[in-house]
Amino acid sequence: MDAPRPAHDPEFLVNKTRVRVLGLSLDDAVKFFFGGNAFISVVVLTLITYFLFQEGFGFFGQNQRSLLTYRQAGLEYVDFIRTQESGHTALTRYISDLRLRQFNELTTVRKLDLEAANAQLAAFDEFSGQFSDGVDPLRGLLSDLTEQATAIKTKFLVAEDKKVERQQLVDAGKSVEAAAVKIDQIDFPAELKVLTGALPLYRTASAEFAAKLTAALAKAPTLSNPELATRLIRLRELTSDYIATFPATLRSLETWDYTRPVPWYQSATSFITGRQWLTASFWQDWYGIVPLFMGSLMVSLVALLIAVPFGVGAAIYINQMASAREQRIVKPCIEFISAFPSVVLGFFGIAVLGQALRLLSQQEWLAWVPGFPFSERLNILTAGCLLALIAVPTIFTLAEDALQNVPKAFKEASFALGATRLQTIIRIVVPASLSGIISAVLLGLGRVIGETMVVLLCAGNRIAIPDFTAGLAVITQPVHTMTGIIAQEMGEVVQGSIHYRALFVVGLVLFFLSLAINFLAQKIVRKYRISIG
Amino acid sequence: MTALNVPAFAMDISPSKPSASEARPLTTVPARATSGPGGSSAPVGATLIDIDHLNFFYGASQALHGINLQIEEKKVTAFIGPSGCGKSTLLRCLNRMNDLIEGTRVAGGKIKIRGVDIYDPTVDVIELRKRVGMVFQKSNPFPKSIYENITYGLRLQGRSNKADLDAVVEKSLRGAALWDEVKDRLNSSGLGLSGGQQQRLCIARAIAVEPEVILMDEPCAALDPIATVKVEELIQSLRERFTIVIVTHNMQQAARCSDKTAFFYMGKLIEYADTRNIFTKPSNPQTEAYVSGRFG
Amino acid sequence: MNAPDRHVFQAQANNARRWEAAAVWVFRCATYSVLVCGALVFGKIVFQGSQTVFTTKAPFINTAFFTESPETLHVFEFEGKKMELGDRDFRALKAANPAAKDLRSETFVYSAGGIFPAIAGTVLLVIGSMTIALTLGVSAAIYLSEYATQGRLVTAIRISILNLAGVPSIVFGLFGVGLFVIFFDWNVSLLAGWFTLALMVLPVVITASEESLKSVPQGFREGSLALGATKWQTIRTNVLPYAMPGILTSSILGIARVAGETAPIMFTAAYAMRDKLPWEDLTHYSDFVFQGVMALPYHIYVVSSKIPQNEYTERVQYGTAFVFLMIVALIATTSILLRNHLRNRYRW
Repeated sequence: MDAPRPAHDPEFLVNKTRVRVLGLSLDDAVKFFFGGNAFISVVVLTLITYFLFQEGFGFFGQNQRSLLTYRQAGLEYVDFIRTQESGHTALTRYISDLRLRQFNELTTVRKLDLEAANAQLAAFDEFSGQFSDGVDPLRGLLSDLTEQATAIKTKFLVAEDKKVERQQLVDAGKSVEAAAVKIDQIDFPAELKVLTGALPLYRTASAEFAAKLTAALAKAPTLSNPELATRLIRLRELTSDYIATFPATLRSLETWDYTRPVPWYQSATSFITGRQWLTASFWQDWYGIVPLFMGSLMVSLVALLIAVPFGVGAAIYINQMASAREQRIVKPCIEFISAFPSVVLGFFGIAVLGQALRLLSQQEWLAWVPGFPFSERLNILTAGCLLALIAVPTIFTLAEDALQNVPKAFKEASFALGATRLQTIIRIVVPASLSGIISAVLLGLGRVIGETMVVLLCAGNRIAIPDFTAGLAVITQPVHTMTGIIAQEMGEVVQGSIHYRALFVVGLVLFFLSLAINFLAQKIVRKYRISIG
Repeated sequence: MTALNVPAFAMDISPSKPSASEARPLTTVPARATSGPGGSSAPVGATLIDIDHLNFFYGASQALHGINLQIEEKKVTAFIGPSGCGKSTLLRCLNRMNDLIEGTRVAGGKIKIRGVDIYDPTVDVIELRKRVGMVFQKSNPFPKSIYENITYGLRLQGRSNKADLDAVVEKSLRGAALWDEVKDRLNSSGLGLSGGQQQRLCIARAIAVEPEVILMDEPCAALDPIATVKVEELIQSLRERFTIVIVTHNMQQAARCSDKTAFFYMGKLIEYADTRNIFTKPSNPQTEAYVSGRFG
Repeated sequence: MNAPDRHVFQAQANNARRWEAAAVWVFRCATYSVLVCGALVFGKIVFQGSQTVFTTKAPFINTAFFTESPETLHVFEFEGKKMELGDRDFRALKAANPAAKDLRSETFVYSAGGIFPAIAGTVLLVIGSMTIALTLGVSAAIYLSEYATQGRLVTAIRISILNLAGVPSIVFGLFGVGLFVIFFDWNVSLLAGWFTLALMVLPVVITASEESLKSVPQGFREGSLALGATKWQTIRTNVLPYAMPGILTSSILGIARVAGETAPIMFTAAYAMRDKLPWEDLTHYSDFVFQGVMALPYHIYVVSSKIPQNEYTERVQYGTAFVFLMIVALIATTSILLRNHLRNRYRW
C-alpha cells in the first residue's frame, strides 16, 4: 500500500522554490531589516557625538581669536586696573555691611530711633565716605582707558567684518565691489600707545589711592560691640592685604606686551577653568563653565541628599518590610510620581514651593538653620527639593530591583540562624545588593544632572559660583546650571556665533558626563553580578 | 489509512518538486546498515537516518563523541542513559534544533537522512524540520485554539482550504487519540487542556504536517502515570506510520514501547541493539549496570 | 527562674525587637512621605487647575479653554465696573462703544482664551514621534531578541542603547538642532520634533519591547520551528502576537515621557505662540510637517516663566498645568494598570 521510498534521495530536503532576491531569501531580508533598525541606536549615538563636536568644536578657534583680540586691543591691560578697582568695591561692600549691622544693633538692641541711630553713625559714615572716595582718581583713569580700549576693539571688529564682507564678494565673483570695500589696517602698537602711555598716570593715581585708604583707615571710628570691633580689625587686615597687591598690578602693567602669543590651549583652559560666563557684554565675553558646573553640581547634590535616604529607604521598606497589599498599592504610586512632567514640577516650584520655603525660612523658630531666612525664593534648595522628587522614583525602582535580586536563600539562611528581620536586612540583604543600590544612586544622579526644566524655572538663574564661604547657607543661593543655560540661551543666539558654539560645548560636557555616570553605574552593576555568582 | 501513508513530499504542493514515485537511481544503502534487510524496496527496517562518527560541541565542551548509529524506518528507537549523557543533544541534532542554541557546532561526522547530509549547506533547514517533526519534554501548545494549533503547520505551507484543513484536524486528532476528548471544543484554547492532553495535542500537531520522523524528547517526563500510559499507547499506534525516535530516562518506558534501544553514557554510544536484547542480555557491563538500576 | 506558665519559645520584649519596630516605622515614614509629597504637588495643581477647567454652570466644563487660542487679557475699568476681556472682545468693545475709545487697560499676555493649539500640537508631536519610535524600536528589539547572536556588533548596539538611555534630554535637543534643524534644513518643524523625540524615547521602547519578546516562552518558538516554520513565520505568527500587548503597554510609558518632555522640542518644534492651527493655510501638503507647533509643556514653560504671577495669569497657568498633568497622568495610569492586568493574564 505504500509507494516505496528510496533510501537514498539526493533531492530530499533541498528546496528550490524559495524566492531569492540578490541572493537573499525573504527571511534574510527580514533579518537585515531588523538588524538595520537595531543598528540605528549605534548610529544615533555616533551622530550625537558628531554633531555636538561639529557645532561645538569651532568654539575653541573662535574663543582663541576672541582671547587674542582681548589682548591685542588692550582690554587685558585695562582689566588689570579693573581688577584692582573691583577689589576696592568688595571692601566698600564689607563696610556697608558693617554699617548695617551697627545700625541694627543701635535700633534693635539699644532701641534708638532712626534719627538718633543715624546721628550715632555719623563718624562711621564719614570714614566710609572717605574710604570709598579714595578710589576716585583710579576710577577716572579706568573709565578713560576703558573707552579707548573699546574704541580699538570696535575698530578691529569692524575691520574683521569688512574682511568677511570682501571675502564674500570675492566668492560671489564680484571682484570690483570687493576691491571697493575699504579695510582699515589696525596699527596696534600705535593705538596701544594711548593705553601704555597712561602708565605714569596710573602710578600716581594708584599711590594716591593707597595713601587715601591708609589715611581713611587711620581715622576709623571704634565700634563698641566686640563682634563688630573684630570685624573692623578684619577690615584693616583685608585692606592692608589689598594694598599689598598694588605693586603686583603695577608689575603686570609694566611687563604687559600685546604681542605675547595666546597659547593654543588657552581657549580650552579658559573654558574649563573660567569662573565667568558673561555674554553679550560691551567689553569682553567670557565663556567659563565653572559657575554653571558648580550650579549643576550643587543642585544635584542637594537633590541626592534628599532623594537617597527617601528612595533607598522606601525601596527597603517596600521590598523587605511591607505587606503584599502595601506593595501593590505603593509601587504604582511611586511609578506614577515618576511620570510627573518636569515642567509641571518647575511650575509648581515657581508658583508654590519657592514661596512656601521662603515663608518657612522666615519663621523665628527656624532661624538657627544655616541660610535661613532667605529672600530669593528661587534657589538651590527649591530646585533641589523638586529634583529630589524626580530622582526618588528612579532610585526607588532601581534599588528595589537590586534588593529583589538578592537570592532568597541568603535571607532564609539568616532567618534560620535566628536573626530578626532588621538584622537580616542590615547584615545580609543590603550588603548583598549594595552595588546595585550604588548604581541606582548614580543613575539617579545622571537623571538629576541632565534635568532641564526644573532648574531652568527654579534654580534662580544667577550665573555665579556659589559663595562657599557662607557655609551650609550656600544652598539658599540662586545659581545657573549647564542644562538651564542651554535651554535659556539657545533660542536667542545667532547660529554659528561663538556663543552658539559655546552652548554646544556645554552640551558636549553634559553628554560625556552622562556617559561617564552611565559607564560607572554599569561597571558597578557588573561587579555585583559576579559577586552574587 | 492509505492516504495517511503517502510520503510527505508527495503531499508537498510546491510545483517544482518531483513526485516521490518518480524514478530515482536505486543506490544501495551503505554497507554499514547493520540490521534489517536493507535496500530501497523494503521500507520497514531500512536505514532511514544514518549517523556517522558525529562529534558535537557546546562551545568548548564536547557533548557527543563519535556517535555511530543507524535508525530504521517505521520503528521506534529509544535513547536511554543518565542525565547529561547527550541523548537529547543527539535528538536535537536530527532536525537541527541545536542551531538555535548559540555556540553549538557539529565538528566532524555526518547525519544522513535518506542519504542526504542534513548539515550540508544546500540543505534547507525548514524543509528538514517539516519532515522531521518534534515533540518536546514540556508540552508547548500555542496559546491558540486546538484547531489552530493543529493547522498551524499546514497554514505555514500555504494550505488554507477549509474542508481540507478540517479533514486533517480530525485525522490528526484521531491519530493522537484525542479526537473524542476534544471534538466538541476545537475552538477553545489549547492551554485549557490537561497536561497529558496538551502533550497529545502537540503530537497531533506534529503529525498533522505528515513528517517522516517524529522526535520525542522525554514526552512523558512531565506527565502523571495515567497520561503516560495514554501517550505510550499512542506511540505504539504511530509506529505503523512514522519513524519515531524517543528520548527517555524511564527504562520501563523504553522497554515497553521501543523496538531498538541505544544506551548513551558520557556523550558516547555504549550499546545499540534490539530492545529485548538490551534489557535481557546486554553485552556491555555498563549497560547492564544501568538497566539493572545500579546507577543513573 | 522559669515560671511554670512560660515555655521556651515565649515571646519576649528585647532590644532587637524594639529596634526592629522603630526601624520599620522610620522606613515606613520615608516611603509615605514620598507619596505625600507627590500627592501635594498633584493635589495643588488639580485643585487650582480645576477652577479654570470646570465651571459651576452647565456644561460644567470651560469649553472656551479647550477650544480657543491664547489671547492677551485686558483688565480695565469701564463705566465704574472692573472688567476683564480677551483681546478680540476688547477691540470689539472699543469699536462698538465710542466711550471706550481711549480706554487704558492692564494687559497680560496669553492669559485669556484657551490652549487648544497647544493641545493639538502636543497630540501631533506624540503621535508622530511614537509611530517612528515604535517602528524603529520594535524592529530593533526583534533583532536583538530573536536574531542576534553574540558578537561585536550586538555588543556595540547594546552599549549604545544603554548609553542613549542616560543622555540628558537637552542634549537630544541640541542634537536635534544640529542634525534636523540645521543640517537637514527642516527648520523648527513638526518633523524635526518627531525625530528628536523618537530618538530620545528609542531606548525605552527597545528595552521594553525586548523584555516582552523575551517573556514569550521559548517553547512557542521551538514548537513552531519544529513544524517547519521559517524564523520570520515563527516570529510573525507565534511570538509577536503574544509580545504585542506587553510592547504596547510599556510603550505607553514612553508616550508619557514624550508628551512630558520640554527640553528637546524647545528649539526643534515648539513655538511660544502661533495663531494658525497646524492644519490651516497649507499651500502644499508637505507644509504640514515643516511647520512648528505650539505644545503644552512649552506653553507651561512660557506662561510660568515669561509672565508675572498674579490672580489674572494664575488661571491660565494652573489650568494649563492641570490639563497637561491630567493627560500625562492618564497615559501613565493606563500603562501601569494595563501592565498589572497583563502580568496576571499572561502566565505561560
